Amino acid sequence: MFKDQKQNTDVKQAETIIGASVRVKGNFHGDGNIVIEGEVEGNVKTKNFLLVGKSAKISADITAKDARVGGKVSGNIKVQGYLEIESSARINGDIHAKELSIEKGAILNGHCHMGDDHKEGTQK
Amino acid sequence: MHVYIYDTFVSDKKYINQVARVETRITDLGLNGKIVRMGLISSVSSAIENEIKKGANTIIAVGDKQIFSQAVNAMAQLLARESIGKSVPLGFIPVGKKDLLIADSLGIGSAELACDILSQRRIEALSLGQANNSYFLFSATVPTEHTTIEIDENYSIEIKEPGEIGVINLAVGFTLPQSAKTDQADSSLELVIKTAQGKKYLPGKRGAGDQSVFAFNKLRIINKKYPILLDGAKNLTSPVDIQVAPMKISLIVGKNRQF
Repeated sequence: MFKDQKQNTDVKQAETIIGASVRVKGNFHGDGNIVIEGEVEGNVKTKNFLLVGKSAKISADITAKDARVGGKVSGNIKVQGYLEIESSARINGDIHAKELSIEKGAILNGHCHMGDDHKEGTQK
Repeated sequence: MHVYIYDTFVSDKKYINQVARVETRITDLGLNGKIVRMGLISSVSSAIENEIKKGANTIIAVGDKQIFSQAVNAMAQLLARESIGKSVPLGFIPVGKKDLLIADSLGIGSAELACDILSQRRIEALSLGQANNSYFLFSATVPTEHTTIEIDENYSIEIKEPGEIGVINLAVGFTLPQSAKTDQADSSLELVIKTAQGKKYLPGKRGAGDQSVFAFNKLRIINKKYPILLDGAKNLTSPVDIQVAPMKISLIVGKNRQF
């Protein structure tokens, strides 16, 4: 089941790719899929899928339709649909998602809100 | 009437045979027209403007990427000033062996083949990039060192590794990442950053490099040390504001064009 979900969140075509050698500062808003392997300071927002790679360092609030996180995030993550947190992820911030999976080894320091209305919350 | 704009170097002894073959082929195909030979101080822009005013219905740049780039710029400037109609297309006959990459991308190939392409008259309206008051068909490039990029006045980009920045309209000489969603035929530009970041800790091994791709409406490139190079031919000093040009240029292309 987990494998099937992972396939659904693969980035086939990315509108934006932030490579490991790039640092972005400011409000980064996009309509398409975004892949981040580098550093981002500010806000990240997309109407589609966001992939935060293992080498990524993000100091920003994140909003996306679906997301997979494998890097370091300092900020809140708000995902309308499915949020997948990989074992390499280090998250300091609250997460909001309709569906969630957290792989063994991941570190999450923050509140976790799940479901459509984001009203129910549990703390890890 | 066809007007052939010959670059200065075309009259060089080295190219006499190649140019003679081109002229014979043009005559065979019934595409004869006026030849305007550029001198060291003559302006491609004024030459094209004058010839169009006199009734030229096709302009053909004969030479290398320098004259092609100048002709693209001149046509775009005239279109921007509405001095010419969209019906005047630009063709290209490459002379020499240096700039076949551009000719290949347009589906033109060699000089002799270019004559056949002219006679087939397959015209494609292509969008251009605008950099300050200049225009480019392929790309604007600058080294990553000392460069800052501001995009859509929302965010800025710093590059930590040496490499090359390209603002791509048509990707010639620039390999875009496979996962990047780019459409070369659309009316948009992509910012591509290529760095040589790799496995530095393994002697003799070099990584495949690192690539970043951004979609944008407007961007500003600032580099006080290096100029921004348009289509490998024209230098601009920063700051340079880049966006999609409001007009399209009509180009004569071959069926094997790469876009």
